Amino acid sequence: MTESEISKENEIIERCRSDSRAFGELYEKYFDRIYHYLLRQTDDEDMAGDLCSQTFVNALNNLNRYEFRGLPFSAWLYKIAANEVNKYYRRKKTKKVFSIEEDTIRRLVDRGAQHQGDEEKEDLISRLVTYLKDLPTDMLQVLELRYFEDKDFREIAFILDITESGAKMRTYRALDKLRRQFNIQVKYDE
Amino acid sequence: MSKNEIRLRRQRMGSHRTERYRNYGAVLERHEKDMRLKKILRVFVMFLITLIVMVLLIIVIRVENRAKKEAKAGSNTSPKSGVYAD
Repeated sequence: MTESEISKENEIIERCRSDSRAFGELYEKYFDRIYHYLLRQTDDEDMAGDLCSQTFVNALNNLNRYEFRGLPFSAWLYKIAANEVNKYYRRKKTKKVFSIEEDTIRRLVDRGAQHQGDEEKEDLISRLVTYLKDLPTDMLQVLELRYFEDKDFREIAFILDITESGAKMRTYRALDKLRRQFNIQVKYDE
Repeated sequence: MSKNEIRLRRQRMGSHRTERYRNYGAVLERHEKDMRLKKILRVFVMFLITLIVMVLLIIVIRVENRAKKEAKAGSNTSPKSGVYAD
């Protein structure tokens, strides 16, 4: 996100503080991203829709508390969405679901295992799913934000309420395990 | 036992399917309702605080009055100095 885009966003936020209808612009801009993030974490379209609405209602209700910290406004929305997901799983008392698009995982496997055949790649995908199942949830959250949402470490740290070095460490550990287990190349900062 | 449940989805949900969940009007309505509730709650809390302060004030005044009365009554029954002449 460029500087001018961030400052334009801040102007809209300032307007929203006195007129909540101005928030519609930000809603339209970020709805899809937040919805897909929630869908990936619940695998339930209706529930993702409800949580998405709740995320935006919470954002509007607490807009006066929002402070610009050099991060795009979307990071704040992701943070609220992540809190809503945590609340949802606390109520539901079940294992956390991660619903991943096949296309995205294929793209990642293609990038990491360029020299392998189709059959080997299929096998790799099923092994990767098993690997992800056993990965600690906090590591999986970081990987998801990094590789499925394309967030940088500062944003990940803000969204998950951890330090930037903590976010880097979790990613590094998860990728290191992945490299050792699958003998594939995954760049840490890619 | 696995820690998470991983599900693979065929493809990313298209924008036409997300459209039925997109409703800014409903979000705004809920926000306004929440704000109204917040305002009512704030007024109620202020009223409650005022009520508590007033009750405390009344109690303090009554206790003070009672103490004054008791002190007065005590001074009336005690013998006054200089009453008895020799």
